[in-house]
Amino acid sequence: MDEYIIKIDNVKFKYDKDEYAVDGVSLNIKDGEFTAIIGHNGSGKSTLAKLINSILLPTEGKVYVKGMDTSDDSKLWDIRQTAGMVFQNPDNQLVATIVEEDIAFGPENQGVAPAEIRKRVDDALNAVGMYEYRKRPPHLLSGGQKQRIAIAGILALNSDCIILDEPTAMLDPSGRREVMETLKKLNDKGKTILLITHYMDEAVRADRVVVMDKGNIKLDGTPKEVFRNVDEIKKYGLDVPQVTELAQELIKEGIKLPPDIIDVKELVDILCQ
Amino acid sequence: MSIRTENIKYIYSEGTPFRTVALEDINITINKGEFVGIIGHTGSGKSTLIQLFNGLELPAEGKIEVDGTTVGEDKKKLKLIRQTVGLVFQYPEYQLFEETVAKDVAFGPMNLNLPQEEIDFRVKEALELVGFNYKKIKDASPFDLSGGQKRRVAIAGILAMKPDYLILDEPTAGLDPSGRNEIFGQIKKLHDKSNVTVVLVSHSMEDIAKFVDRVIVLSKGKVHMQGTPKEIYSQAEELEKIGLGIPQIASIVKELRNRGFNIKPDILTVEEAKDEILKEVRRRHV
Repeated sequence: MDEYIIKIDNVKFKYDKDEYAVDGVSLNIKDGEFTAIIGHNGSGKSTLAKLINSILLPTEGKVYVKGMDTSDDSKLWDIRQTAGMVFQNPDNQLVATIVEEDIAFGPENQGVAPAEIRKRVDDALNAVGMYEYRKRPPHLLSGGQKQRIAIAGILALNSDCIILDEPTAMLDPSGRREVMETLKKLNDKGKTILLITHYMDEAVRADRVVVMDKGNIKLDGTPKEVFRNVDEIKKYGLDVPQVTELAQELIKEGIKLPPDIIDVKELVDILCQ
Repeated sequence: MSIRTENIKYIYSEGTPFRTVALEDINITINKGEFVGIIGHTGSGKSTLIQLFNGLELPAEGKIEVDGTTVGEDKKKLKLIRQTVGLVFQYPEYQLFEETVAKDVAFGPMNLNLPQEEIDFRVKEALELVGFNYKKIKDASPFDLSGGQKRRVAIAGILAMKPDYLILDEPTAGLDPSGRNEIFGQIKKLHDKSNVTVVLVSHSMEDIAKFVDRVIVLSKGKVHMQGTPKEIYSQAEELEKIGLGIPQIASIVKELRNRGFNIKPDILTVEEAKDEILKEVRRRHV
């Protein structure tokens, strides 16, 4: 088996305008990796996600999911099952009136046997910590809970890779924590996670951060490698965590600190030595 | 002059098994000229509350007064109240529909039967208030703009109604950091320049800390606390208990103080934190 679950090979994509929304991107994602993609609105992040999921097809170049070419029509369902997508607004992706029926919707459409569906639904609900809510109507859940149901819906498809397009944009701080904890746990169990986000504190928790601007990848590395470039990141209309900014301000004033602090505890430990 | 609520209670789905008390015992006052932030977990009643402010919803019990007029008492006055209290919904760009930016912003004032000159003047003023160059933007299609720009056009549409109170429900949800700064920067400027009262509902603790004079914290349909950002964000445990958090800079300060750093407890900006930490570090190394 290929070590990369997603291979993006020199991909260009344009909507009907002249400009390329994705302009020559190559990116390989390892099986089991937790990657965050950040970039300003219109930088091409969401387009890239849709190219992986075969919602869009590249104008030039190729995208492979587990070795399958996304432009191969006959592989469409396998690709979408392998790389499942969760969108920003949970209200747009919940379809049934009862939580467990919503989660069963995907596997039912794949023709999975009823006993197996039951098992997958229960496993998925347990994985996101929502088993007790299985009989509830989704529209009466909180935003964070709904988003966890949406994630469970993807898990029930047995997807190896979960792509999330700003899943926490509509959530409060505790809803955001719930979703991030859930993603961390799933990643620990081997799921590949691709998280598109505008929140730098979420990106910091990934293994790898990819920064996009004008359809291109500008920075790619561990959170520490990426966020130390404070000025460059701000130039792309993004931000760095407040702790990184504070550390760099202190360095300018002559305090000896590493330039790549991204964690509150780390800064506090060094200052208190 | 103020928006004042008295013992408000609001119930959803009354008479069904899903009956939910969304708001209870709400007694708050928003004074003219203030910049107030409302925070609370999802489902805490924030959006319901602001819809009561301009009579989109009416309370089951209690009353709301806008500049002395009780909302909903006289149906004929509702139109005036909605003009006085302008509400910008979540994702307001979905409400844009005209072929040009100027036409879209003009839609509200047109419905007020104002003379054309006054409408033109208001459209220009509103677009400039949200930071656009009127000449450059007026003929653009709203659908060719970026997310942050679309949202500013939608806000201009409300401003063209000349509200005394501008209420924004999560105006930056889904925007990138620069779009966020663009919107907040313009709102702040607007508040400083004109005497419009601003009420901001947000999930971003950092943004609330940076911009507002006073914070109202809702939890489970009740007012949990009220105070200045400094007062509110010094209560980290309390906020976490009700599903909220504190800005990252405040948690750095809290940790440092726990470890014996002699710095002020109520710091909310990177700049302030830097100055305080420098003072302490230099004191220690003398």
